[in-house]
Amino acid sequence: MNPTTSATFGLLAPEITLVVAALVAFLGAAFAGLRSGWLVALVGIAAALVLSGGQAVDGVAVSGPLAIDGFSTFVRWLVLLLGGLVALVQAGDVFRSAVIREPQPSAATGEEAGVFLLLLAGLSLAGVADDLVLLFAGLELVSIPTALLLALKRTDAQGQEASLKYFFLSLVASSLFLYGVVCLYGIGGSTHLGAISDRLRTTDPGTVVIGAALVPLAVGLTLAGAAFRLAAFPLHFYAPDVYQGTSPGNAALLSTLPKLAGVVVLLRLVGLAIAPPTAPAAGYAATAALDLLWPATAVLAAVSMTIGNVMALRQNNLRRLLACSSIAHAGYLLVGIAAASAAAHAPNGGTGLAGGTLAAIAGGGATLFYLATYAVATIGVFAALTYIGHRWPEWSAAVPRPPREEAASVADLEGLSGTNPVVAFTIALCLLSLAGIPPLPGFWGKLSLAAAALEVDAGGWGPRRLAFVALAVTLVVNAAIAAAYYLRIIAAMYFRSTTRGVQTDGGIGAGVGMVACLALLGFFTLRPQGLFTAARRAGAVVLRGVPATDTAGHHPGAPSSPAGSSAVAALSPVSPSPSAVP
Amino acid sequence: MNGFSPATHLILAILGPLVGAAVAWGMAPRGIHAVRQSALVTALVTLGIVGLLVLRGLADPVLTGGGAFAVSSVPWLTDGPFAVRLSLGLDGLSLWMFGLSALLTLTAVLVSWKAIQDKPAAFYMLLLVLEAAMLGVFAARDVILFYVCFEFTLVPLFFLIGIWGHDDRRRAAVKFFLYTLAGSVLSFVGLVTIVIWNASHSGVLTFDIAELTAGVRAHPLPMDAAGGWLQWLVFLALLAGFAVKVPIVPFHTWLPLAHVEAPTGGSVDLAGVLLKLGIYGFLRFSLPMLPEASAVAAPWLFALGAVGIVYGALVALVQTDLKRLVAYSSVSHMGYIVMGLFALEPAAVEGASLQLVNHGLSAAGLFALVGMLYERFHTRSIASLGGVAARAPWLTVMFVLFTFSSIGLPGLNGFTGEFLILCGAFQRAWTGVSPAWQATYLTLAAAAVGGLVLGAWYMLWAVERVFFGAPRRPPQDGDGHPAEHAVAVAAGPHHHDPVAHGPAHHGPAPAADLEWHEWAALAPLALFALWIGLQPGAFLGPSAAAVRGATAQAAAAFTAGMQPPTTAPHTVTANLTGGRQR
Repeated sequence: MNPTTSATFGLLAPEITLVVAALVAFLGAAFAGLRSGWLVALVGIAAALVLSGGQAVDGVAVSGPLAIDGFSTFVRWLVLLLGGLVALVQAGDVFRSAVIREPQPSAATGEEAGVFLLLLAGLSLAGVADDLVLLFAGLELVSIPTALLLALKRTDAQGQEASLKYFFLSLVASSLFLYGVVCLYGIGGSTHLGAISDRLRTTDPGTVVIGAALVPLAVGLTLAGAAFRLAAFPLHFYAPDVYQGTSPGNAALLSTLPKLAGVVVLLRLVGLAIAPPTAPAAGYAATAALDLLWPATAVLAAVSMTIGNVMALRQNNLRRLLACSSIAHAGYLLVGIAAASAAAHAPNGGTGLAGGTLAAIAGGGATLFYLATYAVATIGVFAALTYIGHRWPEWSAAVPRPPREEAASVADLEGLSGTNPVVAFTIALCLLSLAGIPPLPGFWGKLSLAAAALEVDAGGWGPRRLAFVALAVTLVVNAAIAAAYYLRIIAAMYFRSTTRGVQTDGGIGAGVGMVACLALLGFFTLRPQGLFTAARRAGAVVLRGVPATDTAGHHPGAPSSPAGSSAVAALSPVSPSPSAVP
Repeated sequence: MNGFSPATHLILAILGPLVGAAVAWGMAPRGIHAVRQSALVTALVTLGIVGLLVLRGLADPVLTGGGAFAVSSVPWLTDGPFAVRLSLGLDGLSLWMFGLSALLTLTAVLVSWKAIQDKPAAFYMLLLVLEAAMLGVFAARDVILFYVCFEFTLVPLFFLIGIWGHDDRRRAAVKFFLYTLAGSVLSFVGLVTIVIWNASHSGVLTFDIAELTAGVRAHPLPMDAAGGWLQWLVFLALLAGFAVKVPIVPFHTWLPLAHVEAPTGGSVDLAGVLLKLGIYGFLRFSLPMLPEASAVAAPWLFALGAVGIVYGALVALVQTDLKRLVAYSSVSHMGYIVMGLFALEPAAVEGASLQLVNHGLSAAGLFALVGMLYERFHTRSIASLGGVAARAPWLTVMFVLFTFSSIGLPGLNGFTGEFLILCGAFQRAWTGVSPAWQATYLTLAAAAVGGLVLGAWYMLWAVERVFFGAPRRPPQDGDGHPAEHAVAVAAGPHHHDPVAHGPAHHGPAPAADLEWHEWAALAPLALFALWIGLQPGAFLGPSAAAVRGATAQAAAAFTAGMQPPTTAPHTVTANLTGGRQR
């Protein structure tokens, strides 16, 4: 084992831990009768968190296809945090069966937990990837386990439909993305992100010709691949069916982790085209990519928000409703991406805020911040729905009691504030945060997104400025539309009474997950600063817009260091706050 | 009183209700009496703190000179150039409304004393949280803090209306929330646009209201096609939120529904304080920051104010529901304030700012009294009420007092405000507008005078029908049981004909008149109504400088847009404030 390999293994310790835990869960379930696979998953996630916490956060460490920097650390932490929450929700009542020794073990929990751990490992790899191949492999390691989980968790016809639908569409999306990756390789002549970035920004005439031909294809295809994972228009249509046809726990997974993958891909793509402040003028291909990217993402953002919210208005099934809402939230996330890519290439110079760079960071940071707050609130809602489990229908003593029903529609939540006040409060708080009501974290997310959009070309006036003002208005108007259906759920819980009993058979895991989400929301309400700073720093790193004072040796992605000989290099720390304001 | 700084004093005033809310919630297991006592103590203590603070402010020459008092500022969400701060302070614009918020919360607690029997802990908790938010709006010196409090007021009121409201409460709560949210999110975009415009010209991304005002005065937002009519767009965005909140007439449809369905305590806060937030927003943001756009819009808003006066009065005239009548009278009276504000004449603007307080007192008093009538007679229908004066003479006295205050009887507070507004409006019509506008302005001002007559008509007619004439409805018995129950006990099965068989024939029931908590709720309002009526200078003086300062730019822009007046305008206010100030 040469030093580079061992260094790479060291950097990948969290992901390796996840894979090892997955193997334990798989093998244990198959050969040792292990039934508490989700417990293994939680232990694995905790161990990975500890390991990733021990790694350098402020520096940049590169080894082979990996780059551990502020961005990948942020993504990794987010993956593990959200993964832990989703694992709690997924675990459901498994803990009880582990303790009580029921005669029939629950269905394939070991397989579920193992597959889920692989998904987290893949997402984390996508975050740390500094190479197109590893990025693609990571994304595939997200898609395939997701489809498997959909199939494992629910085996009736609806579940099968959901699983197959997701699987085939994810194949299509992956192949689109792969073609995009090929185009990027064609431009860069390398799979290394730094090399591609350099070729994109070159002014060498030969590359310009290649760029002119390939850039539109690359942008369009990667965007399509990302749109599927974000559940954004035009690849959003699977979401309502798939969410409805699966368990709330899987819906929690689907509405958060793939979105994170999509955001990682898009931010990396924007980052490719951004010149570091020390570099000479941006090259033709890079500006062409940005000029294609911002209108495309802006249009997708506006359409996704509007379609998602308008569709959600008419839904009665909660998972369907939240699926539509997740389409809308994908649109909000794209606002930040659009702002970042537009601000990264400001044709007529700066805005007085240190050029467009800070505005671009604002866009990237806002996207990551919004994603975190959105994910916590969404997982909170699904955890609560899992925890509620089933409700008894209304019945009279004269007839035999009808079977209990899964709590799946808005009407099933009626009177919940009377029967389960904590659950009702959690759902209400999460929904108000999703609606962006201050001072909940969702409001800070919408504030930073709107501010990022309005910062584009702030000093002047022109079509770009007009487009982004319109985008900001679309965003807030959509927030008001979304409030209509969120309030419908809150009104059902608080303003109506019920005689139906609540089973709360979703299990202690979901309950713990729900309370954890509530606690996180409360924490981010009172102290949004920490998450905000971390997201902004991550955005600054991935968008290479670290102000001049911090750039010394900032990005190590120089292609001159061939793969295999690069070393772990903890370079100069990235300042936590880009404070170079004139 | 000099033991601690005014800034600490102000922070205590805002934290007080929050602590009290937690205490009220904690009192839930001890029963309703402990809960409402704790809420009363909190309201009294907060009022004491706020009252002392207002006195300290009045003694401070900085505040009466138009500056800010009790200023404090700590970072809230800052990163790089992003600087949201928890900045608090009071000035002439906010001083009286700040005090009124504390006073009306006491009223709201006291009028709910017997009316709220269901879930009292949650009710008083929400009422006190609402108080903290209202105090926060008026104390905020940071745009985002202002918006957070502005928007957050919706949440407690949503639950207050939806849980403790009347029959159609769910629809009313949701409509109220969505309508105001839809408007205020647009204001949000407008405010952020101002912030970013200022940042792109001064280079500092500040959210401080005073710095922003100074900044946009140095670099006004463009009012031409090259700048994209940005000032105009921002003005319209702010108008969307503030006009719904006021409400200015085409946007008023949420108000009667919300008022009628709200519990009395909610109506008191809604009418007394929350409607004023719109006007306060105009005074704080639109007029000082966007003077040119305000000047262009002024004639139209002046006209909409006049339309609102007449329309509200005419609709009030035909109401059969007493609470709805008072709600439409609010629409009419808010029309005077809008008219006065956009007359952009010092007298009218000062009258409008005083009328904010006046209407807060009289509308809160009237809503409280309607609630008391409802508790006694279980109807709000004017046709079902009658002869109340014989049973509840003191209640009648109070109702008549607040009616007189509302219709502007000289000697009471309503007269001062409306007189100044009309004086200013006529002054603007005669001397301040171009000849082309003069006829329009005169017509509108005359219509407003006509509105006074209509106001007296509908209010006095309602008083005549409800309080005098033959009794049509029996009083409620002392135990809080419905009136029908008391009648059924007294008169057997014929209780549907109470005139013949009800206890009304047995003379007035002593329980029907005001109880101690109702006295305590109404007396301070009546006291202030008299005080402002007799000594308006004491209330006009401290805010005059700030109000004139806020509107001076817009007034100058308006005058520049019109033909310059031929005669030197002589102000009415000078006599009033100058003569009666200390």
